[in-house]
Amino acid sequence: MAKEFSVPPVVFTPSAPTHRRHPPPGTGASPPPAFAPPRPSTSSTANPLPFMSFDVGTGASSSSPPLFAGPIGVGSGASFEDEPPLLEELGINTRQIWRKTLSIIHPFRSADPTLHADADLSGPFLFLLSFGLFQLLAGKFHFGIVLGWVTVASLFLYFVFSMLSGGRCGDLDLYRCVSLVGYCMLPMVIFSAVSLFLPRGGGLIFGVGMGFVLWSTRVCIRLLSELASSGEEHRGLIAYACWLIYMLFSLLVVF
Amino acid sequence: MYNSYGNPPGMQMPPTGQMPSGHPQPGQFDNPFYGAGSGLIRTGLGAYGERFLGSSSEFMQSNINRYLSNPQYYFHVNDQYVRNKLKVILFPFLHRGHWTRISEPVGGRLSYKPPIFDINAPDLYIPFMAFGSFIILAGFTLGFMGKFSPEAINLQFTRGLIGWALQTVILKGLVYLMGGGEVPLLDLVAYGGYLFAGLSLAVVSRLLSAYSYYVMMPWMSLCMGVFLVRTMKRVLFTEMRSSERHSSRQHYFLLFLAIAQFPLFFWLGNIGA
Repeated sequence: MAKEFSVPPVVFTPSAPTHRRHPPPGTGASPPPAFAPPRPSTSSTANPLPFMSFDVGTGASSSSPPLFAGPIGVGSGASFEDEPPLLEELGINTRQIWRKTLSIIHPFRSADPTLHADADLSGPFLFLLSFGLFQLLAGKFHFGIVLGWVTVASLFLYFVFSMLSGGRCGDLDLYRCVSLVGYCMLPMVIFSAVSLFLPRGGGLIFGVGMGFVLWSTRVCIRLLSELASSGEEHRGLIAYACWLIYMLFSLLVVF
Repeated sequence: MYNSYGNPPGMQMPPTGQMPSGHPQPGQFDNPFYGAGSGLIRTGLGAYGERFLGSSSEFMQSNINRYLSNPQYYFHVNDQYVRNKLKVILFPFLHRGHWTRISEPVGGRLSYKPPIFDINAPDLYIPFMAFGSFIILAGFTLGFMGKFSPEAINLQFTRGLIGWALQTVILKGLVYLMGGGEVPLLDLVAYGGYLFAGLSLAVVSRLLSAYSYYVMMPWMSLCMGVFLVRTMKRVLFTEMRSSERHSSRQHYFLLFLAIAQFPLFFWLGNIGA
């Protein structure tokens, strides 16, 4: 027995690009599209149907759920131009990342101390990717290893730091710790780039590596003591922990 | 948490489970967290951090307190303590003072002073740092032998953990056999972890000169044996005040403890195998 479906008419309004599709009918002649948000003309909202939208209100006439769900956060009222830019939606603030990077590169000029209070993971992710890339240029495929080691190292640092400072101290939580360790990897990234041009196994690469590790450690200590107030009396103890972490990564580069 | 060393090199696996992938991937529109971005990740990681290492008051209130005393006590250290304690561990013959821990009555129960005030108190900072140093030095040794790979480092990490656990088990067995009851587990973990300090020193000396290994390794084992024997003797003495067991059995067990250090050190220090 053939069912009858109310097929809404295709309407192209001049204001917004609208792509209406018929809901995939059971016996339709037209091929069913991959996604079919149905919008009958008796819809409650007055806005034209945007390109990607998920409307739960009009389930009466739909015969199959749309396979293409689309971003829920956008909502059914916003049009395409009103959506925030992609990077902003993802929370990647490139200007902030650049400023944080600059604050690490200038080791002797202390920048705004609250700059790193707002932690994010996209900068560290970029650094880890480029570290992996330079390692790849050297013939070593270490992407997964680096990710895993950064995780373990951040956990280690977080544990030691929180225990040494007497419980919940300052506002260093695990997220900030991962962000911090990731940002201070920048000198190691530069080291892995530089080590492509140095002779392997020579004493030079060890000396250069030690210099970069000390740079990383210094930056990490500076940022840690800025973030958490009571980092002063345990500086040497924390410094050793940070030094161990960056020595581990320098092992990856050198050998 | 991190890639197990069983993975063949070159296989890339994102860390699963504990740490949520730190970057929402654009372009996958069926990701329900599409709009949430890093805020969710941030709260997720913050919550994980809270759950793993709750504050000390949580430890006090939970059942875990019976088995794991407050770890914060073991990290109450400073620079000077670390230096002096390292001297005691590496050269226990030179320690002229007494080996007992200073106790103070706190709220009716007898508790020990934290490490910052008492050189004989165990701490967990030195074992952790010594363990890390051991891993790094093992990496260097492997590199100089030409056998470096990240999987080898992971293997050394696991071996170190097993050695630490073994040492703790030996100490715990000793305390149990002697009948003393109430030694906190973290105390024994701390005493067990001190071996990495001597071990790291021996590995450093091996990096510098190949033959000094055969001198340093037995020497460090001996030092660790002496340190542990003296410490455990004090611990057992304070625990077993009632039963007066200065018997030869106790001495045999302590001798066994000292002798067991030698194979342990040699096994852990055998990095190339």
